[in-house]
Order: sequence, then C-alpha cells, then structure tokens
Amino acid sequence: MKILIALALATLASAAPAAEPLRGQLQIPEFAALADNASESVKVTLDSQLLGMGCRFLNADDPEQADVKKLCNSLQGIYVRSYTFDRDFAYPKADVEGVRRQLSGPGWSRIVEARSNKENTNVDVFVLIDGGKAKGLGIIASEPREFTIVNIVGNIDLEQLHSLEGKFGVPNLEIETSKKVEPPKKK
Amino acid sequence: MSENFENELRRALRPIDAPAGFTERVMRALPAQREPAPMRVVTEQPAQRLMKRIGIPMAFAAALVLSVVLGQHVADVQGERLADEREAAGLAASHELMQALRVTSQKLDLAYQAVKTPPPAGDEENRT
Repeated sequence: MKILIALALATLASAAPAAEPLRGQLQIPEFAALADNASESVKVTLDSQLLGMGCRFLNADDPEQADVKKLCNSLQGIYVRSYTFDRDFAYPKADVEGVRRQLSGPGWSRIVEARSNKENTNVDVFVLIDGGKAKGLGIIASEPREFTIVNIVGNIDLEQLHSLEGKFGVPNLEIETSKKVEPPKKK
Repeated sequence: MSENFENELRRALRPIDAPAGFTERVMRALPAQREPAPMRVVTEQPAQRLMKRIGIPMAFAAALVLSVVLGQHVADVQGERLADEREAAGLAASHELMQALRVTSQKLDLAYQAVKTPPPAGDEENRT
C-alpha cells in the first residue's frame, strides 16, 4: 500500500508542470563554484514578484529612483551575474558561450557587438523583439578577469531606457525612439 | 475447663426478653414533645447573592475578553513582524534592482565606449 502511495505521489510530481521560463528569460548557470574563486561577485535574481516588491520600495522623491520606478513596473525579471577574478580567464568560457548560444535563438537580435582582440574584451548586447516591441535584453561582457551576464525580461520601453541616460552612467545609446524596432528575419 | 467457661459465657450472653412493662417505662421517661434543634439561619448579603449569581458568567466573560485582547495583541505583533520582514525584503529587492541597473549601465557603457572609440593602430577590433 505504501509503495502504491509513493508511486502515485511520484507520478503526480512528475506530471506537475515545471515553471517555464518567461519569453526572453535566459537559462543562466548558477556559477556557484565561481563565487568562491571570484574576488568580487554580483548576483541579482529578481523575478516578477521580487521586482514588484523592489519597485514599490524605491523612493519616488529621489529622481534617479523615480525614473527606475517608471521603468521597472513593466519588467518581469532582472538577472545579473558578474564575477571579477584576480587572474585571467578563471571562469568557464563554455558556460558563457552556452548563454551566448541562447541569444542566437529566434527573436533575439544583436544590437551591439564589440570585440577587441588586443584587450580580449567582448561585449554583446541583444534585444528580443516580439510584435515590434522589445521584450528582453541580454548583455554578455567578457574580459580576461571579469565576465558579466545581464538579462532583463519584460516590456522594455526603449524610450524609458533612453530616459535613464546620464543616470547610473548609462551612455547615450542613440536609440531611435520614434521608430519601431524592426522584427528580426525568421531563421 | 475451657468448655465450662464457654458454656458460662454462652448462658450469660443468651438473648432474653425484656421484662414486662419495660417499653412503657421507657416511653414514659421520654419528654412529651421533642423540641426542635435550633437552626442557624444564614442570611446572605445582596452583594454576595449578586456575586453568586453573576460570578460564573463574569468569569467566563472576563476569560473571553482576555483571550480576545491577547489574541489581538498576538495578531498585532505578528502583523508588525510580517510588515517588518516585508519591508526588509522590499528594501533588499530595491537595492538589488539598483545594483543590477548599475551593472547593466556599466556594461552598456563598455559597449558604447568600444563602439565609439576609434581603434588604435594594430588593434584588431570588430565593431558593429
């Protein structure tokens, strides 16, 4: 009888739908072992619930936070992994390439690609376009002693992102807000 | 010897009828009417009566009020604790959010600089 109950529970557990990642959400490895070896690490995992909570607690009187508050209400998740090391290439390049491969999937467009062979610095900025709107942002920046993966999920209002210029050191990306982003060609 | 003693004892203790007129003599010796034993009447004070009548309901009511007050207090304390925890989680999330946007902006800046800065001679760069 106990075996039957256990079997029934196991069947139910296997039949339960796993939480599917949102469109635009990358499968970022945990990099748990890296945090111990890194001299500095930033790990931010904000799903829609935590993001909503974080947005509510932003100070609307602070102009910087007020702008972020406007932006983050339409977002569904922010995921950041950033590690700095004391020696060169102490991180698994294969894992970073694995994330990069996800960004070559349908819908994703690379809007910035910067490679410097001299400094071994690669920065790629990707945007997921769906229905003419940006639904996800992915940044992969790898340097010899540092690598960073940023994934922002949700309705990314490029105009609002544009309004953050000058804050947090966000550069003028010359985003044309009057034009709609062209959907990527189907592969 | 012992048998004699037992016989003597049995004869002495044998049931005998009361002599004639014994009952009448005893009845005549009794008083004609027995006086009732004096009873002590305890008269309750009105306050005591009131206390006896409402004491138990009052105790129940007091217990009820106490439990409601205590329950409310416990609920308030728990509510405050939950609100504190929620606030702490919210503040932590907002800090993480700002940190995430700082990292994002740093990397966007890196990309921007890489795209905008002209490459030095000899540096093989691929910019888009």
